[in-house]
Amino acid sequence: MTISDQANQVLGLVKAAGASGDLIIDQGESLSLKASNGELEEYKVSSSQIFGLRVIKDGKVGTAYSEAADSDALSSLVEQALTNASFTAIEVHENILANEVNLKTDDSVLCPAEEVSIDDKVNFALQMESDLAARDKVKNVPYNGVQDNTTQRHIFSSAGLSAYSKSRMCAAYAYALIEQGDKNAMEGIGQAARLFTALNANDIVDRAYTQTIDILDGSPVPSGHYDVIFDEEVQASLFGVFTMMFSGKSAKDGVNPMREKLGESIADTRLNITDQPLSADGFGYQLFDAEGTATQSTPLIVDGTLNTLIHNSATASFFDMKTTGHAARGPKSTLGVGLHQLEIAAGSSSQADLFSGKYLMLTDLTGMHSGANAISGDFSFGASGFLYEDGQRLQPVRGITVAGNFYDMLNKIALIGDKQFWNWERSALMPHLRFADLAIAG
Amino acid sequence: MLNHQTAQSVIDHGISLGADFAELFVERSQTNTISTLSNQVQSVESGIDFGIGLRLVYGTKVLYGYTNKPEGDELKRILSELAAKDLRDPCVSAFNFDYRQIKDLHLAVRTLSNDSEVESKVAYLLRADLAARAASNMISQTRGSCRQKEQHVELFNSEGLHTGDTRNYIRTSLTSIASDGSEQATGSWNDGGLMGWELEDDISAEKTGTEATRQALVNLGAKPCPSGRMPVVIGNGFGGVIFHEACGHLLETTSVAKKASVFHDQMGQMIANTAVSAVDDGTMTKQWGSINIDDEGLDTQRTQLIKDGKLTSFLVDKIGAEQTGFERTGSGRRESYKYAPASRMRNTFIEPGDAGLEEMIGSIDKGIYASHMGGGSVQPGTGEFNFAVTEGYYVEDGKIQYPIKAATLISTGPAVLKEISMVGNDFSLACGMCGSVSGAVPTSVGQATLKVDDILVGGNA
Repeated sequence: MTISDQANQVLGLVKAAGASGDLIIDQGESLSLKASNGELEEYKVSSSQIFGLRVIKDGKVGTAYSEAADSDALSSLVEQALTNASFTAIEVHENILANEVNLKTDDSVLCPAEEVSIDDKVNFALQMESDLAARDKVKNVPYNGVQDNTTQRHIFSSAGLSAYSKSRMCAAYAYALIEQGDKNAMEGIGQAARLFTALNANDIVDRAYTQTIDILDGSPVPSGHYDVIFDEEVQASLFGVFTMMFSGKSAKDGVNPMREKLGESIADTRLNITDQPLSADGFGYQLFDAEGTATQSTPLIVDGTLNTLIHNSATASFFDMKTTGHAARGPKSTLGVGLHQLEIAAGSSSQADLFSGKYLMLTDLTGMHSGANAISGDFSFGASGFLYEDGQRLQPVRGITVAGNFYDMLNKIALIGDKQFWNWERSALMPHLRFADLAIAG
Repeated sequence: MLNHQTAQSVIDHGISLGADFAELFVERSQTNTISTLSNQVQSVESGIDFGIGLRLVYGTKVLYGYTNKPEGDELKRILSELAAKDLRDPCVSAFNFDYRQIKDLHLAVRTLSNDSEVESKVAYLLRADLAARAASNMISQTRGSCRQKEQHVELFNSEGLHTGDTRNYIRTSLTSIASDGSEQATGSWNDGGLMGWELEDDISAEKTGTEATRQALVNLGAKPCPSGRMPVVIGNGFGGVIFHEACGHLLETTSVAKKASVFHDQMGQMIANTAVSAVDDGTMTKQWGSINIDDEGLDTQRTQLIKDGKLTSFLVDKIGAEQTGFERTGSGRRESYKYAPASRMRNTFIEPGDAGLEEMIGSIDKGIYASHMGGGSVQPGTGEFNFAVTEGYYVEDGKIQYPIKAATLISTGPAVLKEISMVGNDFSLACGMCGSVSGAVPTSVGQATLKVDDILVGGNA
């Protein structure tokens, strides 16, 4: 059976049961390589597919998934979803959107053709590992890898939606373990691109080595309050931890602390944050969301004021507004919302102003999954980086913590840089922000 | 789940490609998750995971692939693709599978495949919600969940092994959100085990609700945490995450074999205070991190990692054994068929001592009592770890003063193990999920309350 035949079988059964629904079919193929001591340590290939069904019957919503795709399994998928729906409360706001359209992304943009042999990819992995291992004081390269992943997503709905997207991501990363006497350090970096040939092993090796050797002699700074700049990698991760503040779903569920602050000033007036799904430079580039709604540039914070939350059709209905094109759903999950790619607008501070006086540049934060509470905004992370004064590096810094409240921090922005940077995963485009007076323990 | 003859022909094919070892890991898992929001059922989700992981080993090089398609031709195609760069002279396999029936030490009663029992679980979660709200009128929201999983695994390998196991997991949790109009704070409680919904007989919805609310209220009234180096008393149960992060990951051959662990050359040496003895035990009946066999088909075991401060064992999987020369410990684990196995923890804990909580608190001039811990992480190469305090108190002059919020503890494994000076007698275990190279696996952490004499506390005061 073709994918369309399978979708017709599933949605036919859904309609026959007097329900509506939508079906996500994700398929993926991947190659993953890891090297150790100049030899290939792991070679992993995969092919997978999964069906995720959401049904709505009598106002009740149920979901089910299956990795088996035979006819019996697909029939069972429908039965499971309908059974699950029977237990849930009536949800008047969640409906299958009347999107009777055919959508397809451009493969030449998201999944460009390229001929690179397996040998070339293996050689890339081996070369990257051995070049980094050969650098001075490098004990080994315990974590490294090269990946080439292609994913396809089909979305079909009982209302007539047929959407298809295929995308590719190639990535490489390496971490160096450096030892000198009783000191050691391990740092690393990655790269991501849609074309394998766009990856640059030499650049990864140089940056991973520099980051690690530079931090080796790090020591704590005295406890106190410091101006802090997060580098482009950790700043994007930090904002990622607290994106629940923009979630219409969390607002509907009564847990988003910003749910009653629309139109209010919540940040420094120079801060402008926008979700930019239509910027093709990033991996969050997306033309339609999980309900088939066209995406759009969405200003979230304008001059420090909370402009909007992000919505799917259900959360939008709850708040009596229109979807913002942020529906998110995986085959195993219920309908939620998700940002595509965050952009913070460049500010007016020159790099000279941004990097003047004494400040900490933090290049690594640890415990981000456990040390933050998105509901209260409180956080406390392990950190490392460098102490600077007027752009001159005074010392590498390790063994410190940085703590605060993220939502309070948005009002403690001292400066916003005039240049934007992508993080290596190309999920966020931001300038450096300089935060004043953060609590550092050392 | 996979035809015996198909498995034999696929393994034969792997060996014919010159591999030293070939293995098939077949998995079929059934899941059911119920979520409540306030006093309503927000969602019920269920599904079937099915797939086959294929592993070829050439020396210590691992080639791994997986697919959802169980047909022999597809499985052989993947093996041929994997081995394309490693072809050696074909070997001839000379084995016949002899199914090894394992003894199930964790027999589940109310299993998911028998009945998902949605009504009963919903009733439990709604009782917990009621208890949470009855405990305080400052509770603005609750979230509850009950997740049950039944995982069937079947293993075939070129050493003639054919065995299988069924693992039943169940976990419940409730989070209370307290609000005073300007600030919000959370508290949570969870239970779980390697069992079916008979867990219900061992747990209390009322305790779940009241504990989640109690913690949320403590955190709502908490003050910013002082920062700096100080003594910390860490509570029992999930407090054991300190050993999990500070030491457990560093004893897995996954990092030891690469010399990416600070303990890789310390076997037999004193690596901890003599007050510390630590164990990783996969055999504990119906405990969350237990298994009958590991994901390489070996019987699991109780492994004494540290005895009176001395390093006595690593956690060793098949590849780790070949790389390091240490005996396997039944610790090869993986989240699912999508991952090659790696050495992983099971139920990991510091054995109890004889100190009392009051004695430990009383010995502190200025410090922290971290009664409940959250998760953490570690960088094995350097041993630098961190973990979060979810309920804590400032201690001065030997007495608890006030609750504190947003605290993280950081140190290195070698340093903190030598700073554990007192271990209490109130031992308990708690459930967690541990993420690493072979995915997220259920693990328990545990300890009695213990005292760390000196550790860096990160706070916002």
